[in-house]
Amino acid sequence: MSDKDHICVDMGSEYCPCYLAEMKECIMCNHLQGKELCDCNWQGICIYQEFYWNGQKRKDIRKTVEGKIIEKKVIQENYVLFKVKVDVDLALKLKHPGSYIFIRHIEKPYFFDTPMSIMDVDEKNGEIQFVVQILGPKTKDILSCENKIFIRAPYWNGVIGLKKLKETKEKKVLLIGKGVGLAPAILAIKYLLKNKNHITFVIDPGKIGVDFINEYIKDFKIEPIEISLRNQKGVDILISLLKENYDLIYSLGSDKLHKIVKAEIEDTSKFVCTNNSSMCCGEGICGACTCKTKSGQLVRMCKMQVKAEEILEEGK
Amino acid sequence: MAKVVIIGGGWAGVAAAVTAKKSGADVMILERMDILLGLGNVGGIMRNNGRYTAAEENSLLGAKELFEVTDQASRHVNIEFPGHKHANLYDVCKVEPMVRKLLQEMCIDLQFKSRVVDVEVEDQRIVSIVLQDGTKIKADVFIETTGSTGPMGNCLKYGNGCSMCILRCPSFGPRVSITSKAGIKDDIGKRKDGTYGAFSGSCKLNKDSLSEEIVKKLNETGVVLLPVPKEEINMKKLDMKVCQQYALKEFAENIVLLDTGHAKLMAPFYPLDKLRKFKGLENARYEDPYAGGVGNSIRYLSIAPRDNKMQVNGLKNLFCAGEKSGLFVGHTEAIVTGSLAGHNSVRFIKGIPLLELPINTCIGDLISYEREQRKTEEGLRTRYTFAGADYFKRMKDLDLYTTDTGKIKKRIEKMNLLNIYEEKII
Repeated sequence: MSDKDHICVDMGSEYCPCYLAEMKECIMCNHLQGKELCDCNWQGICIYQEFYWNGQKRKDIRKTVEGKIIEKKVIQENYVLFKVKVDVDLALKLKHPGSYIFIRHIEKPYFFDTPMSIMDVDEKNGEIQFVVQILGPKTKDILSCENKIFIRAPYWNGVIGLKKLKETKEKKVLLIGKGVGLAPAILAIKYLLKNKNHITFVIDPGKIGVDFINEYIKDFKIEPIEISLRNQKGVDILISLLKENYDLIYSLGSDKLHKIVKAEIEDTSKFVCTNNSSMCCGEGICGACTCKTKSGQLVRMCKMQVKAEEILEEGK
Repeated sequence: MAKVVIIGGGWAGVAAAVTAKKSGADVMILERMDILLGLGNVGGIMRNNGRYTAAEENSLLGAKELFEVTDQASRHVNIEFPGHKHANLYDVCKVEPMVRKLLQEMCIDLQFKSRVVDVEVEDQRIVSIVLQDGTKIKADVFIETTGSTGPMGNCLKYGNGCSMCILRCPSFGPRVSITSKAGIKDDIGKRKDGTYGAFSGSCKLNKDSLSEEIVKKLNETGVVLLPVPKEEINMKKLDMKVCQQYALKEFAENIVLLDTGHAKLMAPFYPLDKLRKFKGLENARYEDPYAGGVGNSIRYLSIAPRDNKMQVNGLKNLFCAGEKSGLFVGHTEAIVTGSLAGHNSVRFIKGIPLLELPINTCIGDLISYEREQRKTEEGLRTRYTFAGADYFKRMKDLDLYTTDTGKIKKRIEKMNLLNIYEEKII
């Protein structure tokens, strides 16, 4: 038995094959794992063929570029919204749900790179938006970024269950977001609306508040349901919603939120969630984001797609 | 009702479907492409040398349908080419629709673009197979006839890369070894030098791209020989191909073309610039594989361990046939092993003893001989075909080879096997 749910999110992109292929550690290709025979689950490309025709080498890696800060807005204490100008080409690659980038103060070395979910993209003007929560050493400096900020991108594995989210069409969808986890909801809502889904959006403002997100969703004609999971009334509303017949349930927030939501769902195949792993290199190399699945397999969460329940039940 | 599911609609799978249906089962073929016959769409050589005996044996055993189709679709009957006698060449452009019609008339359920990617096994029994879209299909018994060729990564690693052959992996997805998914270790065939796999042995040229003179001769006689310039003769090339029956000196010294609708070029690949130096081939272009100038598909990469009844070792309800079941070469070999697997699959459901063909039939002997030989390193480097090389010699030595149908009939009758495949078991 093979598990075809384990898929490298970079597969078939301009960054595939990557360093992992050179190291014979490719997530997808048996040959590029040093094994003898083909045994991939076929997503329409032969990575080994790509590797061979690229001169037995990986493709060029993602570069760190300077983004021009157009807007920097303090939403709440320790929450800052950035609007940054980048290449139109890069913006375009960041418009899919689950897109993320690494940001860094331009005076800091590479190990200050910190992962950030994309909230919104204006691909015509090459503008991206994201919300930074000031938490620790990597983010403390970000507030002092004035004109420029380093950006390493694009990365795509911000949603666990991406395939399920992308193939949901003309269905009933429930989104539950809390706090800064609300930010990546915008790309997902845009995508889900494009696929003619009916969206119910439950918002727990957390510490950040709802004003920042309301700015974005007012154009979508979605009536958000505001609750607080700190009180029982909020929990009851959420539970009763989860009992309704939704085809997709997307939880955006901490692992704690994911667990609350998932515990109330009968059919967990409908469940997708934000990927809260500690991304560091984004390339499947450093191991910072490694999680153990239910079956004991180690997965690099920065680029591997797995089933949400496999990670949440046994993950670190 | 007893249900047999066949994975792979090549000659072996089609043959298994015919006998399983005749034995009374409900039969479904799952084919990953949009046509039946797989590599049979670019083959065409039947009844040459010992294949004649095997075809007659299989017909007398009660499965003549597919040989009737190939005989009927033949552009040339009873022709000779170097090392080969009494060959029929079927028209590759006509045979697939004829086979499809036959199967439809027999009410065999044909599922196209249905690639099997996984199996669910419980207690050494396949419970269901999983299609690419996640659909699960249950059956009493399964027959794997997925072949042993490709996919792209293998053709690249053990060959010259994807040469864009009829199997069209990028379009329909690659072959998946069912045995391997079920945890059975497949055998891998080797070349003389020990490297894995072997190149498919022929390419096809578009006939319209050849000179009028060559086309005329092909249409009239079925065969054209064009001598290779002395400095270009490469005997080593013979070692790398699968079809050892065509690994003869004459095939290195000549370009051999056979008329199968396309002009079948009896070499695994041939650089286009060199090919175009031959008189009459100045405008030649490849029909299959499209990149026949650089390479061909790689075969024998997943052979199931099996017994002589075509049952896969280690699994209770999986049978195999064709190239999946041995280092066999050719349509005839696929059809005869398929016929036996299809018949035995129904015996298995019924719970009666499985049929093992005696070694005094050439089919029974080939199946048993290949199984024995494959256990050795040398045996893994050999191919087994009624049409030539070592096995045809063995057929002659054992007096199994004959074109006398009366003699074959007596032999089958003596063993009480006449029309055994015709019997309705359930």
